[in-house]
Amino acid sequence: MFKKMGLQKKRDIYLIGFLFIFLGGVFLAFRLLAFHEDAAMAHIYYGNSNDPIVTVDFSRQTIERHYDQSVPSSYDGDYPIIDLDQQTITLLGDYTVNGIRQIVVIKYDFNKRSVQIIEEQSPNNICSREGESTGWPLICLPNRIRVEFVTDQGDFTV
Amino acid sequence: MVLLANFLAIAIVLNIIESAIPVIPVPGAKLGFANVVTLIVLYVYSFKDSSIITLSRVFLVALLTGKLLGPVFYMSFAGSVLAMLAMGLFKKSNFFGILGVSVLGSVFHCIGQVIGGYFVIGSTAIILYLPIMLFLSIPAGVVTGLIAQRFLKVWETWNKDIQ
Repeated sequence: MFKKMGLQKKRDIYLIGFLFIFLGGVFLAFRLLAFHEDAAMAHIYYGNSNDPIVTVDFSRQTIERHYDQSVPSSYDGDYPIIDLDQQTITLLGDYTVNGIRQIVVIKYDFNKRSVQIIEEQSPNNICSREGESTGWPLICLPNRIRVEFVTDQGDFTV
Repeated sequence: MVLLANFLAIAIVLNIIESAIPVIPVPGAKLGFANVVTLIVLYVYSFKDSSIITLSRVFLVALLTGKLLGPVFYMSFAGSVLAMLAMGLFKKSNFFGILGVSVLGSVFHCIGQVIGGYFVIGSTAIILYLPIMLFLSIPAGVVTGLIAQRFLKVWETWNKDIQ
């Protein structure tokens, strides 16, 4: 019995060591290898839909608003709201405070080809802490809003 | 039965405290410290009891924080169920000790959460967050396992004293 316990402990340590090295390697590989290309576009999605609600086109420096966000009539405002002067896009998130859904403000930058969630309500405001991104997807789960980047892979001219 | 209720209460408190600690870049994802109770009940009682405790914990925490059936609830639910199943299975196989079972539970907790998250937002982009979550889950699993190990030692001597 005691001998068996010792064997299990040994296996435990091997397992932890293996997972640590393996998962550490995977993590590092992801950080170092992923998303070095400039993004051509950033799609903003709401809910579990795969049709972007707004597309930020960095190459052509345009914002494309694909369709209205369907929100209950008690919320005034024509979401998504696109503010070209402030360079922001405002959507209505799923996170509620006292039963009222809260807005999510996304700032884009054509020159830096980046997108950042600058204002939202979520536990610990963790969505806006994700910072500015140029390739890594921004996911705000409590609000069910996400930003995904697309690189222009067909274009090899420098 | 009374003790199980106490365990459930501890699990709920742990879960609520845990959700206030923002260590993981995916909002709503947790490291699974509340799994310590699942693990202890699994070793002290049985798989059946630990699954009842785990499921009750997930539902009661969601009810208490007002997030029942919200996006975060599905992640929490999927993570806990997968962790519970994985720990039950690996414990039964008797191949690993409590520390190994705990780490594997923690790893599967993260995988479960990402699967839950996929259904919430319908995008595979969330998988990109998996490496960092999994990496952080190892120390979390080790801490959970050490706590459970220490607890079981105390529990055994305590049980002997009573008898």
